[in-house]
Amino acid sequence: MIATQRSVSGSSQSPRSPSSQPYLSVSVTDPVKLGNGVQAYISYRVITKTNLPEYQGPEKIVIRRYSDFVWLHDRLFEKYKGIFIPPLPEKSAVEKFRFSAEFIEMRRQALDIFVNRIALHHELQQSEDLRTFLQADEETMERLRSQETGIFKKKPTDFMQIFKDVQSKVSDVVLGKEKPVEESNPEYEKLKHYIFELENHLAEAQKHAYRLVKRHRELGQSLSDFGKAVKLLGACEGNSLGKAFSELGTKSETLSVKLQKEAHQLLMNFEEPLKDYVRAVQSIKATIAERANAFRRQCELAETTKLKEINLNKLTLMRSDKVGEAEIEYQELKVESEEATRMFEMIVRLMNEEIVRFQEQKTLDMGIAFHEFAKGQARLANGIANAWRSLIPKLEACSSS
Amino acid sequence: MEQQRSISGSSQSPRSPSSQPYLSVSVTDPVKLGNGVQAYISYRVITKTNLPEYQGPEKIVIRRYSDFVWLHDHLFEKYKGIFIPPLPEKSAVEKFRFSSEFIEMRCQALDTFVNRIASHHELQQSEDLRTFLQADEETMERLMSQETGIFKRKPADLMQIFKDVQSRVSDVVLGKEKPVEESNPEYEKLKHYIFELENHLAEAQKHAYRLVKRHRELGQSLSDFGKAVKLLGACEGNSLGKVFSDLGTKSETLSDKLQKEAHQLLMNFEEPLKDYVRSVQSIKATIAERANAFRRQCELAETIKLKEINLNRLILIRSDKVGEAEFEYNQLKAESEEATRMFEKIMRLMNEEIVRFQEQKTLDMGIAFHEFAKGQARLANGIATAWRSLLPKLEACSSS
Repeated sequence: MIATQRSVSGSSQSPRSPSSQPYLSVSVTDPVKLGNGVQAYISYRVITKTNLPEYQGPEKIVIRRYSDFVWLHDRLFEKYKGIFIPPLPEKSAVEKFRFSAEFIEMRRQALDIFVNRIALHHELQQSEDLRTFLQADEETMERLRSQETGIFKKKPTDFMQIFKDVQSKVSDVVLGKEKPVEESNPEYEKLKHYIFELENHLAEAQKHAYRLVKRHRELGQSLSDFGKAVKLLGACEGNSLGKAFSELGTKSETLSVKLQKEAHQLLMNFEEPLKDYVRAVQSIKATIAERANAFRRQCELAETTKLKEINLNKLTLMRSDKVGEAEIEYQELKVESEEATRMFEMIVRLMNEEIVRFQEQKTLDMGIAFHEFAKGQARLANGIANAWRSLIPKLEACSSS
Repeated sequence: MEQQRSISGSSQSPRSPSSQPYLSVSVTDPVKLGNGVQAYISYRVITKTNLPEYQGPEKIVIRRYSDFVWLHDHLFEKYKGIFIPPLPEKSAVEKFRFSSEFIEMRCQALDTFVNRIASHHELQQSEDLRTFLQADEETMERLMSQETGIFKRKPADLMQIFKDVQSRVSDVVLGKEKPVEESNPEYEKLKHYIFELENHLAEAQKHAYRLVKRHRELGQSLSDFGKAVKLLGACEGNSLGKVFSDLGTKSETLSDKLQKEAHQLLMNFEEPLKDYVRSVQSIKATIAERANAFRRQCELAETIKLKEINLNRLILIRSDKVGEAEFEYNQLKAESEEATRMFEKIMRLMNEEIVRFQEQKTLDMGIAFHEFAKGQARLANGIATAWRSLLPKLEACSSS
């Protein structure tokens, strides 16, 4: 097991262990807008620092774009069934927002977390695709990206389609059309139910967290407008009242700035982690769909193998000349069936480990996020209280004179 | 006469011995009467006084908004030069007309209106005030329906008078008429100040109202957020789930605080600002009246001069129209002197009123802004305390 450092802030950490200890440290930085018009896109620097023998040298810098990350994600999803592949940030639907500084920063941070989670995962970090992603020159990467065929071109919506197929098969069973294809595993049922409920509640919480960010901004804007208006009033008045107005107006503008800053903090340190958590849960749902696929395949092959066996015995009894052919087919199917069973059991085993890993990491991440939330809110409120309190003596003087 | 000022809407019992003259009024208990489009709000107007002109120590009458308008318009006509306390606006939006918040704000504003009249050394002696405070409801209704001509004037009409004055000024500039503006630098400065003040006040009041709205919206978001986080907590179970629930509950508590503060902001800050705007508009109406009086004085002075010249001519030619002309001349002279007296009275009253206004405004605005800062500090303090109380538990979760 390779010990690696976790980099969540987006900066690459220098290895704290002596150079003999294995390490793999990645960071995604320096977003740059390239290209023009509709073709424009953002490129990122991906810096890899490592002493692992499979990698070329202690430091390597490559340029990657969002679709390269998608390539890596899709390949890992195909090859490591059963493992919760770290989620990607969404493509942005709104053109106007696509190159805003805030969006670019959020995406960069999310991509950095994505790669680091892969580099820290004891199975995924050994992936050849990861090495390719971290080291291949840009032309090679482009060639690989354009070679994507069939299954690798699958988008998240396609995974949902697989899942819907599974769901429709379930209803087919209920209607008596097919054999049951769902595992009858109460623990697993509980898990699936939990994941679905979690996704709903998380999405709801994230939506309202985003609205909170918006409301902070709006309150800040109103305070700023108010401050300006009160300052003009103060200039018009003159005398001690006018001076009190001016100070109050200036204070309002200062607090407006505080609110905007806190809104940004809320977004980066709370709303984004929540959104990341939603994506992680969606990744688990995709793995659930894969497991259902594997289970169904196993069942189908088991059925088919049984039928083939019955048929083979029949042909053997009849001493048919088709026995040889049937025996070959039967053996082939038997191998496939065993392979399917192995695949399914591997997914079950991996998922069990992944669930434990997920629960631990989530508890930590969410604890941090909500801690940041409460700290930020307390800090903001404290600053606001101090600001207004400092004005009260002067205003008291005005209202009693 | 000493008066108690009742701003909060509750009637204050006289703190002075019963021999000391007092007049204390309060407007309370708004009640919705009537149905559909005819529906309106009635208010109880309670008068406590020992003044001889009034019927007994306490009198309660029922009044509606249009009765207050009647009182305002009569005072405006009879006491030119005095800044008549302003009325709250008619509400344009039907839907809002019977919301409890609107009714409360209007009740408070009407109470302030009547009390300012009762506290004003000239206006408190008005017979119309006594009628308003004491007449039974049928008498009041009869008086309302008898309103003719000038008393049916709406604020928009007063603005029209003012615009007439302004257009006369431009006529002067274009050389069409004789100058009808006073050439009084102090007064010019005052007018300029009043106009600038109205603009800045209206702007500040608009943004104060938006602040109220933003407080409400933030409160609503916090409430929705709290509910969502509680559901998340219930789904999680374990210690993390409990922390979520605590945080969700805290959010809902703070949402309440924000809604309360939004209401306080509205009643103790935004409304006083709006009241201040109305006061300044009342001053503008008085400015218009002064301009009218000045113009009338000038016109009559001019006309007198012409009449005098004509009279002298008729005397010289020994016309038989002399008697008639002399009669008209004397009449006009009396009118002219009356107009001059009226204008000078308005000027004198306005000078006193300006001083009164400045003092009262400084006090009122000082109080309003003081309340604003206190309320904001109190709210922020409550919010900071609430979140800080959660930090130890959250710290435990994020490091375990």
